[in-house]
Amino acid sequence: MSKRSILLGNEAIARGIVEAGCEIATAYPGTPSSEILPAVAAYSDQLGTKTAVEWGANEKVAYEMAVSASFGGKRTCCIMKQVGLNVAADPFMSTAHFDLKGGFLLVVSDDPGPHSSQTEQDSRYFAMFAKVPCFDPSTAEEAKEMVFDAYDLSERHGIVTMLRPTGKVDHARQDVPLRDEVLPPKKDEFKKDPKRWVCLPAGVRVNHPRLNDKNDVIRNEFEKDYEKYNYIVPAKGTARLGIIAGGTTFAFLSDMIRTSGRDDIEILKIGTPVPLPVKLCEEFIARHEKVLVLEQTYPVIETQLNDRNKIMGRWNGFVPRAGELLPELIEEIIAKCLGDEVETSIDEDVLSAMEEMQITPRPPMLCPGCPHRASFFAIRKALPKAITPSDIGCYTLGIMQKGIDSAIDMGAAVTAASGFYLASKVDGEERPVVATIGDSTFFHSGLTGLASAVYNRHAFVLAILDNRITAMTGGQSSPNVGAKLRKGDQGVQIDLEQVCRGCGVSYIKTVEAYDVDENVDVVKDAWAYAWENKEPAVLIFKHPCITILKEPPTPRPVRMDPEVCIGCKYCITSFNCPGLVFDESSKKAYIDERYCVNCGVCMSVCPHGAIVLREEA
Amino acid sequence: MQFVIVGTGGQGILFASKALGHIAMEKGRSVVGSEVHGMAQRGGSVVSHFKVGEYLSPLVKVGEADVLLAFDQNEAVRNLHYLRDGGTLVVNLYDPKAFQNDRLQSSLDRRKIEVHPIEGYSILKEHMGGRFLFLNVLILGAMCGAGVGGVSVDEMNQAISDLAPPRFVEENLKVLKLGHEAAR
Repeated sequence: MSKRSILLGNEAIARGIVEAGCEIATAYPGTPSSEILPAVAAYSDQLGTKTAVEWGANEKVAYEMAVSASFGGKRTCCIMKQVGLNVAADPFMSTAHFDLKGGFLLVVSDDPGPHSSQTEQDSRYFAMFAKVPCFDPSTAEEAKEMVFDAYDLSERHGIVTMLRPTGKVDHARQDVPLRDEVLPPKKDEFKKDPKRWVCLPAGVRVNHPRLNDKNDVIRNEFEKDYEKYNYIVPAKGTARLGIIAGGTTFAFLSDMIRTSGRDDIEILKIGTPVPLPVKLCEEFIARHEKVLVLEQTYPVIETQLNDRNKIMGRWNGFVPRAGELLPELIEEIIAKCLGDEVETSIDEDVLSAMEEMQITPRPPMLCPGCPHRASFFAIRKALPKAITPSDIGCYTLGIMQKGIDSAIDMGAAVTAASGFYLASKVDGEERPVVATIGDSTFFHSGLTGLASAVYNRHAFVLAILDNRITAMTGGQSSPNVGAKLRKGDQGVQIDLEQVCRGCGVSYIKTVEAYDVDENVDVVKDAWAYAWENKEPAVLIFKHPCITILKEPPTPRPVRMDPEVCIGCKYCITSFNCPGLVFDESSKKAYIDERYCVNCGVCMSVCPHGAIVLREEA
Repeated sequence: MQFVIVGTGGQGILFASKALGHIAMEKGRSVVGSEVHGMAQRGGSVVSHFKVGEYLSPLVKVGEADVLLAFDQNEAVRNLHYLRDGGTLVVNLYDPKAFQNDRLQSSLDRRKIEVHPIEGYSILKEHMGGRFLFLNVLILGAMCGAGVGGVSVDEMNQAISDLAPPRFVEENLKVLKLGHEAAR
């Protein structure tokens, strides 16, 4: 262990996965976990392992592939984000009961905050639910180290193990140690044994008690043999407060104590919250008058304690019951615990200055030049009264264009369209429904919804926004693109039109997303067909994501003609491009060249024709 | 040494922390930092935290940053609370008069914050044909010019040569120099 290198937390985890001898790694991309699998591929190449790396079409698919690959004895892993585990919950619960053979690691990245997720759920609860052990890293370096222990534990006990980093571990950058040697691969020796590998009700009688026994043994191990993850940091002076901390809260706390010189806090650091080393916690609690529990995000450690009388934490609401515990907040909570004064960081001068300078929050919006913006605009213009369910991905940002009315989870654009249709059908009224979904999301879980809608004769337009990439998570490819994870590794490209035709859709049209004027009519026609024939019509709005373009398209630089602009702000409110800005002094819109990418789409947007081609192009 | 680097998506903020990390590693120092951004898109707010020394947490606590590097004037004001009293702000102004606000000035004075403004966009327009992609290196140059962050311009020169794509090294070094001069 000589070398150190600055790695992203996700790269550190990936490096651990490869060094630990994992031979099959699968994932579905999701922030903050997305960088792990590509890094597994890169380190595998670098260290000369033969690790298979694959994006599954969704998390359930990825999970089932990886866990089955371990049945013969190989080390495998599956990677996803917290909401992905909802999708993979079914195989996760089943295989928790199994007596596994090879090491199987499930990496689930949680997103407290949340910064880019529909929920703030805590996967450690899922670990409790499934009764599988969970490692909760505080730093990138620790996350890497935990990978080895998680595999060891998984193999010794034949159990799924979970590594649960949070976003601040995934997206931390830290110098971490690297090993040059890789643990040797294991031969696949799958032996037919239906009792072991076939999930039947009868098996539960054996499986569930065995799982409980494993939990008792593992809890006991966590009490005694995992001091590197579960340990006490004594106070430098007299301890006035004991804190049990897990995950990134421990890292925040450590730095705070160091920089502030606080000497009155003793910490019990817990790196294995499930099953909780309860005795360790109880001995610690007994020594202190007051104990604060700080964890991201739910009270998982806290609710496993038998006696919570002395405890202040999320469960009793002393610590906020939602949201990420950031250093500033932790400092406030500790002060509240000890009855100390808290200095406010609010600077009234800066607040008023921000108001005077008109500095408002910068809401997330689609990139300048994003083809989705053009698609949303055409759809809204074609059918202004349409209900527009959408999905999880960049296009969720269409909310800023008033382009989406609902988004539940991946794939729900299609099923919500069915729901909205049924609600209007019962009333016997025509109400257009246009659903939007991305290409990757469509393969993730839009397909089953489409099959169901065709079969049940649901009238709506399904717009598949095909930008040739899974953009929001950083640009992973998907089945309709065909390229696989490793460079040069080519898969079979699945054609979207053919898939839809196979599902029984008869009206399918592919259009260029930038052609706003034409697409307005295309959307109207598609709805007319869907309504008349009582079946879904599919439109594929195709245009590559601007973040993947190697060469920019022919530029169509535009300018705002101030003579023509009447300052109606229509371009800003309905097109919502960062390149279009309103100047309060002249009461006219203008093009902000810092953001404009010269896509020229906004020329179709201004009802007065004020946005025109710039001559010098 | 604790840095907070702010701006909007697409400005190359992550490269700035990469360069700082590279320099620290060359000196055998430990580093930890974190990217904090909302849903990935160009033009949205991006905040990067970066610490050199024996730290565990990737986040800079409010009121503890030594240096705030701001690629955008509005993001600078929005994130001023990260700076400690007596800290330094290096900021790219696209409106040279942007900071002429009494309340803002009073806060900066009271907290003894040293401000190094550069007009990044006009410099890049004049010398680099308006290629705003070079903004990150311009700001790093300005930081060295301001003599803050514990990084010399020679160290930064070396880091940029090591990290920039080979065919852009020369231009990057030119921009570094422009930034260095602008903030001296």
